[in-house]
Amino acid sequence: MLDQGRISSVQLFLLLVIAEAATAFLYAPSDVIKMAGRDSWLTSVIPTISGLVVAVVCIALAKRFPQQVFTEYLPQILGKIPGKILAGVYTAVFIHLSSVIMNQSSAFIHVAFLRETPLVALEIIIGLASIYGVYLGIEVIARQNELVWPVWVLSIFIIILLVAESINPDNFRPFLEKGIMPVIKGSALFSSFRGEVFLLLMLYPYLNKKEDVYKSAVYHLLTTAVLLGIITAAIIGVFGELIPVYMVFPIYNLARYISLARFVERIQILIVVMWMFGVIVKLAVFYHSAAIAAANTLGLKNYRLTLLPILAGTIIISRLFYGDHLSLTHFLSHIFPYYGPVVELVIPALVLLIAVILKKGGKS
Amino acid sequence: MESWENMISFLRWLGKLLKHMTAEPTGALLKPGDPGYQEAHTLTTNLDKNIKIITEIFGLSDDLMVRGMKIGRGKKQVRVAVIYLDPLINHTRLQQGLMHCLQTIDHLPSMGVTTEWLINNALSDGRVIEKKSFVEITDEINRGAACLLIEGLDQALLIRLAEKIGRAVEGPVTENVSKGAHDAFNEDVRTNIALLRKRLHTTRLAVENLQIGELTKTEVKLVYLKGYVIEGLVDEIKSRVRRIRIDGIVDSGQVEELIQDSAFSLFSLLDSTERPDKLAANLLEGKAGLLFDNTPIAIIIPGTLINQIQSPEDYYQRYWFSSWIRVLRWLALLTALLGPSLWIAIITFHQELLPTELLMTILVTREGVPFPGLVEALIMELSLEVLREAGLRLPQTFGQTISIVGAVVLGQAAVSAGLASPGMVIVVALTAIASFVIPTQPLSNTIRILRFPFMLLAASFGLIGIIVGFSILTYHLCSLRSYGIPFLSPLAPLSFGDLKDTLIRAPIWKMLFRPRLIGYREPQRQNPDQRPHPPSRKGKKFIRRRKQ
Repeated sequence: MLDQGRISSVQLFLLLVIAEAATAFLYAPSDVIKMAGRDSWLTSVIPTISGLVVAVVCIALAKRFPQQVFTEYLPQILGKIPGKILAGVYTAVFIHLSSVIMNQSSAFIHVAFLRETPLVALEIIIGLASIYGVYLGIEVIARQNELVWPVWVLSIFIIILLVAESINPDNFRPFLEKGIMPVIKGSALFSSFRGEVFLLLMLYPYLNKKEDVYKSAVYHLLTTAVLLGIITAAIIGVFGELIPVYMVFPIYNLARYISLARFVERIQILIVVMWMFGVIVKLAVFYHSAAIAAANTLGLKNYRLTLLPILAGTIIISRLFYGDHLSLTHFLSHIFPYYGPVVELVIPALVLLIAVILKKGGKS
Repeated sequence: MESWENMISFLRWLGKLLKHMTAEPTGALLKPGDPGYQEAHTLTTNLDKNIKIITEIFGLSDDLMVRGMKIGRGKKQVRVAVIYLDPLINHTRLQQGLMHCLQTIDHLPSMGVTTEWLINNALSDGRVIEKKSFVEITDEINRGAACLLIEGLDQALLIRLAEKIGRAVEGPVTENVSKGAHDAFNEDVRTNIALLRKRLHTTRLAVENLQIGELTKTEVKLVYLKGYVIEGLVDEIKSRVRRIRIDGIVDSGQVEELIQDSAFSLFSLLDSTERPDKLAANLLEGKAGLLFDNTPIAIIIPGTLINQIQSPEDYYQRYWFSSWIRVLRWLALLTALLGPSLWIAIITFHQELLPTELLMTILVTREGVPFPGLVEALIMELSLEVLREAGLRLPQTFGQTISIVGAVVLGQAAVSAGLASPGMVIVVALTAIASFVIPTQPLSNTIRILRFPFMLLAASFGLIGIIVGFSILTYHLCSLRSYGIPFLSPLAPLSFGDLKDTLIRAPIWKMLFRPRLIGYREPQRQNPDQRPHPPSRKGKKFIRRRKQ
């Protein structure tokens, strides 16, 4: 283990929520509403079950090697060369996911305000802030998250409370007009976001009381489901099922909708800003996993050496492949639903299977 | 040719520099033949020789007094000598406690004079100790003891007769409260210990002596409550203090820099206070303290950020009011840190955040100002900083001049000359006032410095710059530890139970437990059932019980 930090089960729970929700809430609702229409708020239920499956697989695998992270024990299960190759693949996955998050956040800022600031500059400063956290270790990221959490949740509650009067119950009726199938399709889209609980593979060894891991994972899945359901419901309640499809960030439009006593207006920027606190932590979690995975693959003793190359890599990927907004939305709605389950569930499940057959590691 | 000579002389200078840098530090170790080497030896039985060595050790000190006399009557008289440093001695006590006693000795014991006999029969002063070596004797003389040497004995009696030099106990200078004790530490460590002991009448209060400085030999007292202090903390403090090898210290601030955890952090990782009640309360939580001779500021170990934005007064006022003040203080802290940068971000990037009417007013007042927001803010902030420093250094009689110059020239004239907008003046003034709300000096100073990077970030990236800066700041704060205790505790890592004494102040009877990370050795602080009730209810219960 390259990072000697220790985190508590509560910290793990908060980390998992922020690592999943901070950007999933931005993009997912508009795609899901496109598929499931006014019943989209139901889509927070089924992905919770798939998330639970991912969590169970990952925890079962992690428990076999309680003192090591995923990329560290892969060579022990699969043999040296295939293991290193798969560790390399996961390094690439984490770097790629980081760059997607980076792109999402910079695009969010760009759309919300700061239209003239170059996106590269934004990505560099956001990246540097996250990298600094990774440099200080997982313990510091977890503590930072404890400070960020109240601010981030507060931003959600401010939105929901202040738009509550505009919610029109008629927007939810008729219930399940086209049957259950659209909801299931929408859920499939969400599942890859919710599968980000697979970060457990990289975070489990830092947990100080290993037996509490199920508690953290389950609380995390439930909390995310509730928050996601509330947000989707609020979007549909305010805008109906037609308009959100054409919105880039429905939650941002929701914040723009706020007007209280003709004085509290245009506070969407504050919401974006509070949101960014969460995004910086989310990015730090993914960078941390990427850095540890890279260091394991390359056999480095100090994961901090990989930080600046990873930062540069993510910015380059983000600018080259997702330079225009369409390619990002295309990735999120057409590629990620397939790509996500493969890295989150299929590969860990296969590795677990091999470990069980070959009797590698301790009993889970 | 000239350049060659320059080159050679430069190389020579470089060589000297290297030699100087690699040379052994002088003063740390004494070799035979060095002037102070004899100090290591012990007394002889020859009185004259002893006196000679001591006066030699002190060299040409004009204030070293050597007074020879004979004690006893008739033929059995014994020669003695009293040596002391004149300015340090309390002369009344010297006269009554030593000289008078010696002169009135009638008969000496037949077995010969011993130190024991003198202590038991002759000397009336209580603080007498016996020493043999010159090092210890000269050390005691330096601290204001009178040394009594006796013919034929290789032991000296040292009577501590130091005059208390310095001011009386006065009120605190920086940590003022309206309700609560008004005494503060002063420059005499004995007085400081007395002030502390006056508050903690328990045998658990340990006062250990440490010494810093090869030449100054400054007395440092480590105070803590036995059985309550964090495990291992005392040893860690001692080892860090003993590691200090320095010619001298004159203030606790120097030691603070030498023993704190993070060498380069902007934050002060140890708390300091001049209030005995604050130190006592912190010792009760399970922390330790360092008191210094010649410094009215005590150090509290370990320090936390939360402790630095709390005032002892919070516990003396009603809890509703204290909680309100604490919330207000957090807001003031944020204002002091982010005030100008938020203003810059809003007027440069996010004008839409302001309500339209307000925006129009601000735009009109900013119309004639030739500078961008950042430059305007920097000019005003820098002049305010200079003004603040000037106010500190000036003699008190000039204080008024400065405030008039500050108010009129920087406020009114800058606006009417079109150099700054009224909005900016208000923000800068508000920031300055907010920074005075922070109750401890080190934190206030840190915030003053941090304001400037935030202004730069805000000017280049708007609110996102501020967010990034703030994230980096909190990351840094989360990573800090002071003697093993996280600097941000109990916020991060979160201990939920301790939050009732953090952002707010719960009623005293609710604060059942000590802080989780600090007071874990004796978690419970008071009886659980102490919430006051109206007397009627209790009275009834009492009567009912008596009847049974």
